[in-house]
Amino acid sequence: MGRKNDQGLSRRDFIKLSGSGAFALGANSGPFFLFPERAAAEQKTLKILQWSHFVPAYDTWFDGTFCKQWGQKNNTNVIVDHINLVDLPAKAASEASAQKGHDLFMLLSPPAAYEKQTIDMAHVYQEVEKKHGKKIDLAHKSTYNPKTKRYFAFSDAYTPDPGNWHKDWWTEAGFPNGPDTWEELRVGAKKIRDKTGHPCGLGLSQELDTSMAMRALLWSFGGAEQDEAGNVTINSKETMEALKYMKALYQESETPEVFTWTPPSNNQAMLAGRVSYVANAISITRQSEREHLPIDAKIMVSRALKGPARRIAAEHVMDCYVIWDFAENKDGAQQFLIDYIDAFHDGFAAGQFYNFPCFPSTVPNLKQEIANDPRANPPDKYKVLGDVLDWATNIGYPGYGTAAIDEAFKAWIIPTMFAKVARGDETPENAAKAAEEEYKRIFARWK
Amino acid sequence: MAIARRKIKSFGAAQSPLLGAAMFSPAVLYILLLVAGPFFLAIFYAFSDARIGNTELHYVGLENFRSILQSPSFRVAIRNSLIFTICSQIVVIVGANILAIALEQPFRGRGFIRFLILLPWVAPIALGAIGWKWILDSIYSVISWVLVALHFYKPFNAPMWLGEPHLAIASVLLVHSWRLMPFSTVILLAGRTAIPKDIPEAAAVDGAGFWRTQLQIVIPMMRPILSVAVLFGLIFTFTDMTVVYILTAGGPFDSTQTLPSLAFALGIQGSDLAAGAAISLFLVPLLVIIAYFMLRVAHRAEVT
Repeated sequence: MGRKNDQGLSRRDFIKLSGSGAFALGANSGPFFLFPERAAAEQKTLKILQWSHFVPAYDTWFDGTFCKQWGQKNNTNVIVDHINLVDLPAKAASEASAQKGHDLFMLLSPPAAYEKQTIDMAHVYQEVEKKHGKKIDLAHKSTYNPKTKRYFAFSDAYTPDPGNWHKDWWTEAGFPNGPDTWEELRVGAKKIRDKTGHPCGLGLSQELDTSMAMRALLWSFGGAEQDEAGNVTINSKETMEALKYMKALYQESETPEVFTWTPPSNNQAMLAGRVSYVANAISITRQSEREHLPIDAKIMVSRALKGPARRIAAEHVMDCYVIWDFAENKDGAQQFLIDYIDAFHDGFAAGQFYNFPCFPSTVPNLKQEIANDPRANPPDKYKVLGDVLDWATNIGYPGYGTAAIDEAFKAWIIPTMFAKVARGDETPENAAKAAEEEYKRIFARWK
Repeated sequence: MAIARRKIKSFGAAQSPLLGAAMFSPAVLYILLLVAGPFFLAIFYAFSDARIGNTELHYVGLENFRSILQSPSFRVAIRNSLIFTICSQIVVIVGANILAIALEQPFRGRGFIRFLILLPWVAPIALGAIGWKWILDSIYSVISWVLVALHFYKPFNAPMWLGEPHLAIASVLLVHSWRLMPFSTVILLAGRTAIPKDIPEAAAVDGAGFWRTQLQIVIPMMRPILSVAVLFGLIFTFTDMTVVYILTAGGPFDSTQTLPSLAFALGIQGSDLAAGAAISLFLVPLLVIIAYFMLRVAHRAEVT
């Protein structure tokens, strides 16, 4: 006879109970318990690496909501790693060299140099376009190689690169709507610097924000790194004019701090109430809103500045997802991207309008949504970004974001050229000539 | 008992070559995998057109060396590597000698002061460099803040420690010296303590003053240990890229690049593996010379 324990349960009852419990557990999780290898094979893994987003709420949504739901739906364990944006190139290089790493790797500029190590994304684009219509030209030019007719990356989103300006100081300087042209920037920034001491904050360092701002200046004056056919055109009279302009702007309105900057520096300078104007994405204003900083109502956003040739700016960052040739879950990675575009609007909202869609139909009421944002002060602060596609373009404009352009971008040729002239260490002629030599050397290697 | 002792002795003798090899092998493996392997790979890459993302390699002869020798950034990097290495050693040896003399004398709180001086050496260099980056930051620099508060500068015209090339070079030098000073101080302190007390005392009786005792007796006697401090300092500074990478990232516009930081910037960040490898090979001649002198110092120490 079985002896009852203190709780009145006999040993026999206990064995029965635990036996039936184990059976039930085994029935539910049979494969895991009995055939762990098979179970592991059934549940796939998808490893993703991307940057730590400048709007942290986006990462919360991406990791905690979208990836989680997608993983459950597709019986996949989705692992997302985030790293600082400045570490992305080195990390990509190490994965490509080791032939091992993540299935999906997101870079923030066209990674054409990796074409031979990535799969063709034409299929992903086709599937997405079936549901959401054509992608924007910016995405095409940033991820397509016209020579090989391959898409080396897939772009879901881009980020506009508007101006951020201090309302009070610019109003006092006679520009209540902020600077609209490069000439107005020069005149207004000098007035502010002379009167209040606050410098202008266009970076001149070897970093992302400077690269974008200097390209915007170059293109606005009619210069470019290459033409549509991919020939080097940096050494032009338009480039000279842009260089002369930057030298004047630096000497009249900036301080040497701009030579030391890293990507967050202009955010910090603007939020600290130090500088009158910077070119950056909306991460600055989003931070001031999130942290309820007193300066929030004073920082305004404006379209890219108009130059003698045109109003134009680079995208601030271009999401470029690559799937390595050596990725272990290529199918899953492609399906993930296709499904991700279905949920793009949620990401657009979670990212607080930082990521603009490469498939416009995914955010059909974009203009209305950004024109009335309850977080913003005033609510129509971001309305100016409604026509961003009229002035945003790709790295390598007017050509494609080729491997040579990618390498030149990473070698910081444009920021260095502008910085040397601005400081007076080089004449515009010599700096443009030196840049041309660098470009030609790089372009020759990629022919 | 005697038999047992003999057995143990013979067992030890028979095993010693194997035991020696076993104990030596981790070091050999480490050198082969993490030093020799990358070194020969760098030589291989330097004569090729290796780029990140490329799956094929072609022999290009001396093209990479020709190309980087023409680059102004490379010439600046060589100059900076030598400036940082030599100048920081001068600062460190002079400073460490002064500190060692001061810390040799017994005084209240000496242990605590020694602990404070040692801190920069025991803290991770990346952490220290980040601390210095904030101290010298363009917006939040505490030094600039003090200078402005004392009315030496106007609010928006304080020195940009990392933004002006000569100030940025001086800042990198300062951080290198700050980092190496504790190491040299400890070595020199040990050297000073090892000098028999009766020698400087005899010199004092003979009428030798402080400077004469230091320059003609103490420092010559400490030459072997001084050489160790200098050679280690040279290697640490010449091969370091952490300080430059964190503090200035080679800027403003490449004016603080050193050979390791430029190799990383071009090779890894700029995708040009071949150029990065070729630049890194320029470190080798100086490191070989330093290694030669280190081995000589070690040999002398062994003989004496």
